Amino acid sequence: MLAIKTEGLSKYFNNKKAVEDLNLQVPEGVIFGYLGPNGAGKTTTIRLLLSLAKPTKGRAYILGENISKSRNYLKKIGFLPEVPSFYNFFTAKEFLNFISDISGMVKPNKKIEEMLQLVELNKEKKRIGTYSRGMKQRLGIAQAILSDPPLLILDEPTSALDPEGRKETLDLIASFKGQKTVFFSTHILGDVEKICDMVGIIKEGRLVLNDSIENLKKSHSKRTLFIEVDKPKKLMETLQYLNWVEEMSPVNKNGIILQVKDLQFAQKSLPEILSKENILLNKWELKEPTLEDIFLEVVHNGN
Amino acid sequence: MVTKLMKKEWNEYLKTGKFYILLFVFIFFAILSPITAKFMPEFIKSLSQEITITVPPPTWRDSFVQFSKNLNQIVFIVIVLVFLGSVAEEKNHGTASLVAAKGIDRRKWVFSKFLFQILFSLAMLTIAFFLCFYYAKLLFPETQFYLAFSSTVLFAVYLFFILTLTIFSSSIGNSMLQSAGIFFAIFIILNILNIIPQVNPYNPMTLPSIENQWIASKVAWGNTIKPIISTVLLSLILIFSGAAYFHKQEL
Repeated sequence: MLAIKTEGLSKYFNNKKAVEDLNLQVPEGVIFGYLGPNGAGKTTTIRLLLSLAKPTKGRAYILGENISKSRNYLKKIGFLPEVPSFYNFFTAKEFLNFISDISGMVKPNKKIEEMLQLVELNKEKKRIGTYSRGMKQRLGIAQAILSDPPLLILDEPTSALDPEGRKETLDLIASFKGQKTVFFSTHILGDVEKICDMVGIIKEGRLVLNDSIENLKKSHSKRTLFIEVDKPKKLMETLQYLNWVEEMSPVNKNGIILQVKDLQFAQKSLPEILSKENILLNKWELKEPTLEDIFLEVVHNGN
Repeated sequence: MVTKLMKKEWNEYLKTGKFYILLFVFIFFAILSPITAKFMPEFIKSLSQEITITVPPPTWRDSFVQFSKNLNQIVFIVIVLVFLGSVAEEKNHGTASLVAAKGIDRRKWVFSKFLFQILFSLAMLTIAFFLCFYYAKLLFPETQFYLAFSSTVLFAVYLFFILTLTIFSSSIGNSMLQSAGIFFAIFIILNILNIIPQVNPYNPMTLPSIENQWIASKVAWGNTIKPIISTVLLSLILIFSGAAYFHKQEL
């Protein structure tokens, strides 16, 4: 079952197309990274999914419910906004008490204590108005997961955290794998690569990619090899006549970057050639595309 | 849900000091009104020894005319300033979207705010009335409860309207400034309409002047039934349309 499914979801502001014909599919239980440059439409998508904005056209289903029919589905979602805003006159504990009240939680005290401990705000007695951005972000995470919702929508959850806080938050999100669906937008590609099962890339309001990281790496594989040998010149002379070699270029003193037609064929053939030509192999590296490579390729080429 | 949301409002008013501001303003003018009525003529006389100023002897009615004036001017302004941002500031600050994303019924959210404000204001008004009555009775033993009370009930109806107009403006506007613009635009239009004789009997803006007439002469509920019914109807339209608008609004 899909936790999030959109069909031609669009949002226009006057003539500006903030989100255009979005067909998003997020299966249940996955951690989904939603990527895109600034102003691509990530936050608008989240606002549409939370019924904080009305779609110009299209439909969206959350956990099987058509979101335009009723807003009851929101009770199954934990939401963290990009810049969390709270009632500044409350302390963290009072705020979580209020959230548990409106979420209809029964006997929430133990859970509140757990959450405060988890985000290290259990000893904080000051009002939220005095908190740093990082503390507010941590409180935002606590309020999002307090009622144990099956779906979390997090807008830039690690943006204001220090490296330690970021690691802890990512570990926490990763621990939900298989139990909750997490949909989070971010600019930090490393975070997505670390914990996500699937990614969606949005560019100028259009979803240009929606797939698992594994599939993406396969489909965007550049079939590129880096080898370092003792006689690079000799090897290049041999390889230039072979039809499975698409491109090659020398790197540093003894290195060669090879672009091949068929990676598996090259992996089998190259050792034979090296042995026949009596060339010593010092280094062999398969160049896998990183998420950053894919992101940049998709954003710049739209493919 | 409404009571849970009202509990949050109560906490907010206590923790931000709004409770104490309103309590002070109501109590201050409740005590000040009879004292001013009693001693103002003597104060005016003492201002000049060369010119003889004739001032009619004060009566208990002056206490409540003064009380009504203070309620309709200074207390009115304070109430509007304190309550006007109740929805708009939450939209502007981002807390409205956080609460709305929890799946609460937005209409209940607006009603809870209004219900809290009206109950809170009526409680303040009741305290203020009894304080004013107590001091008026001390200074003017002939003070009549029924006339004073009836006039304050009329102010309560007017207050009901003002609070619905406040919550309506706050639900429509996206900031305190926008809401203030909407509130005062409607307030001024209603005051201008008050000069049209055909509209006057149905206009909520006639209520403050009737309050004074009642204190000065006698209570005539029959003459006030039209403005009371139209005020209540207009108030209901404002609160329901404000809540309906907010329910569909983008946050």
